Amino acid sequence: MKPKTFGYFLREALHGLVRNRLMTLTAMGIITIGLFLFGLFFLIAANFRYFTTLTWEEVEIRVFLEPGVRNPEAVGRKLAALPGVAKVTFVSKTEGAAALERMLGRKNLFLSGENPLPDAYTLALKETADPQEVTELAAKISGVEEVVFGQDFVEILQMIIHFTLVVGLILLTLTALAVLYIVVNTIQLTVYARRKEIEIMKLVGATDSFVRWPFLLEGVILGLLGAGLAALILTEAYAFLVQRLSPYRRFLPLRADRELQVQLMVVLFAMGLFFGACGSHLSLKRHLKV
Amino acid sequence: MLVAKELTKIYSNGVIALDQVSFSVEKGEFVFLVGPSGAGKSTFLNLVIRREVPTSGLIAVNRQNIAYLKKKEIAYLRRSIGVIFQDYKLLPQKTVYENVAFALEVIEASSRTIKERVYTVLELVGLLNKAHVFPAELSGGEQQRVSLARALVNRPLLLLADEPTGNLDPDTSWEIMELLREINRRGTTVIMATHNREIVDKMRKRVIALDHGRLVRDTPKGGYNLET
Repeated sequence: MKPKTFGYFLREALHGLVRNRLMTLTAMGIITIGLFLFGLFFLIAANFRYFTTLTWEEVEIRVFLEPGVRNPEAVGRKLAALPGVAKVTFVSKTEGAAALERMLGRKNLFLSGENPLPDAYTLALKETADPQEVTELAAKISGVEEVVFGQDFVEILQMIIHFTLVVGLILLTLTALAVLYIVVNTIQLTVYARRKEIEIMKLVGATDSFVRWPFLLEGVILGLLGAGLAALILTEAYAFLVQRLSPYRRFLPLRADRELQVQLMVVLFAMGLFFGACGSHLSLKRHLKV
Repeated sequence: MLVAKELTKIYSNGVIALDQVSFSVEKGEFVFLVGPSGAGKSTFLNLVIRREVPTSGLIAVNRQNIAYLKKKEIAYLRRSIGVIFQDYKLLPQKTVYENVAFALEVIEASSRTIKERVYTVLELVGLLNKAHVFPAELSGGEQQRVSLARALVNRPLLLLADEPTGNLDPDTSWEIMELLREINRRGTTVIMATHNREIVDKMRKRVIALDHGRLVRDTPKGGYNLET
């Protein structure tokens, strides 16, 4: 394609958008609403995931050592090398007793003065870890007496994570399909309004791709404008929400990092681009048969 | 230039639009295609520009059988054929200049070529002073002249006209006919489907008559009816 021809397509696309102002605004509005909903689900899913990750970080496995184990550091190194272990912390029997006393709110817990607690390690897990597997492997290390973790809690948490991941994916896919359906139909209206133009183009010898390009560019411009608008509304509304909910962040932690903002932008603009281009492509198919 | 051999078109609803039609048109000829509504005139023109595909038989333009063309080849075929329609088929949001230039934009002609050729054909059809006017501001005859200019700007060897005077008054119709005659005199083959008895009778060109999809008459320098 010659650069002059691309310039012609771009001019035609911009003329088309300006000429059919009402249609342009309608299509852009619908794309904005669709992408807003998509972005909203994206933010909810990202925050839910954040929340479950934070909770997962609380999950720890406690590894009690045999009394009088000679080299607790070696056991610690072996534990750290286990797959799925993020962090290993040594808790001496004295620290363990102090923690227990703190938890129960009583001093001099052991009347005899003898601390019966063993030395221990606490293991923090990576997000991908299987606690059951880590427990079993840890129990096999020599010098380890017992391995404890809140199995019920972990199982429920794993179930919630799995469930939200699946539901989130389904919801995002359904929203994407619904938005695509709406966008295709909206662009189809603009194409239908210009079917005569397409017919004339074909009759004077335009190839399908020549007819398609200006519409494709129009779709892409519409998609990107819709994405920009949706991104603006979402980021402003989300920033407001984060600010308003900041006193409750302990119970309702919300992600407020730059990475999320960038991810949201990338997702929205990519979807806008995809919806616009795909919408134009699918809408035109029928009208090119002249 | 154009050959039809046992050309048949049956639509999906069972209507036989063309039935075993055979004739050929030589380069530089002026041919009237006449017949009542539903005779198959428009179907024939639509087969020539590949808006329709024949059910059977052969149709060739410039010795190329156009019944089996790829999508891209159809576009190239149409670039070698100029077409004008009864309803002009102009783009209302483009000026006269842009409407004519449009046929050159699609073949990615250079800006210079576009400018030169568009002004040349606009001069030929007498619309140089209306180059930057929109179609809605023109009379029917002027709109048909724009349509003619657009059909000619690609310098086609074959010009098809489907009822070009159908929406025009007699005086304006003659203006268009004069232009077609001039274009034909310059070497372009012209095939014109029409109901206009007066024009056919006065022009005394070759007449091919169709009726119910069958070729019923092929007369050199004939009239609308056999007796005229």
